[in-house]
Amino acid sequence: MSRFGALADYAPTLETRYQLLPFRFANLDDGRCVVTNMVGEYALLSRADLEDFVHHRLVPSSRAYDDLKAKHFLVDGDDSVAVDLLVLKARTKASRLAQFTGLHMFVTTLRCEHACPYCQVSRQSEDRAAFDMSEATADRGLELVFRSPSPTIKIEFQGGESALNFGLVRYIVERAEEINRTEGRDLAFVIATNLAIVTDEMLQYCREHNIFVSTSLDGPADLHNRNRPRAGRDSYERAVDGIRRARAIVGRDRVSALMTTTRDSLGRVEEIVDEYLRQGFGGIFLRPLSPYGFAVKTKSYAAYDADAWLDFYFRGLRYILDLNRRGYRFVEHYASLVLGKMLTPFDTGYVDLRSPAGIGIGALIYNYDGEVYASDESRMLAEMGDTSFRLGNVHRDTWEDIMTSEALLRPLEASYTGSAPMCSDCAFEPYCGADPVFHHATQGDAVGHKPTSAFCRRNMTIFKHLIGLLDEPETRRILLGWI
Amino acid sequence: MVDEGGGRFSAVLCFSTAVYSVEAVKRAAYRFTDRLSFDISLRDQEIRCSVTPLADMTKVDLASLTARVRNEVLDQDLRERIAAETAGVRNVVLAYAFSATGLQDS
Repeated sequence: MSRFGALADYAPTLETRYQLLPFRFANLDDGRCVVTNMVGEYALLSRADLEDFVHHRLVPSSRAYDDLKAKHFLVDGDDSVAVDLLVLKARTKASRLAQFTGLHMFVTTLRCEHACPYCQVSRQSEDRAAFDMSEATADRGLELVFRSPSPTIKIEFQGGESALNFGLVRYIVERAEEINRTEGRDLAFVIATNLAIVTDEMLQYCREHNIFVSTSLDGPADLHNRNRPRAGRDSYERAVDGIRRARAIVGRDRVSALMTTTRDSLGRVEEIVDEYLRQGFGGIFLRPLSPYGFAVKTKSYAAYDADAWLDFYFRGLRYILDLNRRGYRFVEHYASLVLGKMLTPFDTGYVDLRSPAGIGIGALIYNYDGEVYASDESRMLAEMGDTSFRLGNVHRDTWEDIMTSEALLRPLEASYTGSAPMCSDCAFEPYCGADPVFHHATQGDAVGHKPTSAFCRRNMTIFKHLIGLLDEPETRRILLGWI
Repeated sequence: MVDEGGGRFSAVLCFSTAVYSVEAVKRAAYRFTDRLSFDISLRDQEIRCSVTPLADMTKVDLASLTARVRNEVLDQDLRERIAAETAGVRNVVLAYAFSATGLQDS
């Protein structure tokens, strides 16, 4: 008599061979589907494999089976830890929620010496009393900042041109540092500035207090100056000179730039990327215009649609990938953020791509007049007369009033992509965000009608495109280097 | 396919309740509401879906689009099957992911 039964006796039966773990799927291209699990891991399957997988007909010796098992799409008899690992990864992805509000933006002034047609908020005014934040308002704002349980606090100075009220920047930095001596948070500062009126003395102050500098650079001189008019028509020259001085004084790694895509930018993405290379940046964030404030009033936002921007974006991405193939390491930051969501268990924290949305619980903005908004975009909307996302006022309301206001809780709950129509069964939900302010601004509804949403169209197209690129070995190698 | 006159067409799609749920048909229809409007009703053992284009559409284009709606209903049916089998694990994962954040005590 044999010591062991026949090998076939140990083979799992067809019905109990494996159990599905939660996943979603979407058609990627002809005959191929992408499947994603709860933590954003993905696999590409033929339609036939997908059907076989769901109907428990997938053969354990197949490559698809191994791939799906390794990425926690199924659990079988010899793999009891799959669910535990999935839980751990899901908890890691969600951990940022428990940290609560980490980004706190102070609008030190609405005044600005630029007159950009796409600007959402700024005012050309000498009236300091009307458009500057007071120390009393800043004090109340700081009290709220430190009510957040977040172990990391980033205070960002916004405008207008924030440096026009640099005295208040100094005041807030020093008060925050003083409070933090007992709070012990990981405290960081960022100043958003066009650099045009920033002096070496201000930059020296930034160096002494670890203040990062975030500026605007829209592309080559003629494009930048057309997008960003100011007296003297020298916005570009001042920005480039400011970048050089800021790097020399504050530190090279502490200076970053953002661009905005206008209709004039659309045919010039290669030149824009070249400008960033010329100025020594290691990457670029190709951003569309936001549908708020003067961008709407001056019709800048309506100047191009989602498809025109996608064409711009993909041309830029192709150009950047070619640069990388030729040996220049240069990153497209939006792709980098999305790839981080696709290929790591960590959430990037990028506010637009968060669900629950990043409004309030990811970022708060304290306006110059003391009003508290759920995001930078919310206060831009308010400048258009729509105060739907005003959460309270630093002088009148407590932290509890602000964080439990219906203006915050209702859109947070309604827009959650885990339950929103079309999002809840979308394969790209783990990579996407809710963005209730965008949908409110463009469709009059925080949830949004996703079949007609420019946000949905833009992001779905990018997610599919990146998954396609990751399937090309050489491109995949480059993209992995961006995370 | 129904000729509404003046070059306008509409269509009727029928699905057996023995095979598909109303929810699957509704979810599929929703994805096409940028181009089509739907009137969904239940009659005997049949889910009846009247489809009207939101803008002028040729007969060929409408036929192609309604074929995609049919395929999407199949996809939604598959999604229902996946959701039913995985609901327990999904709830466990979500419960652990969002439990004991510490925010309740702060």
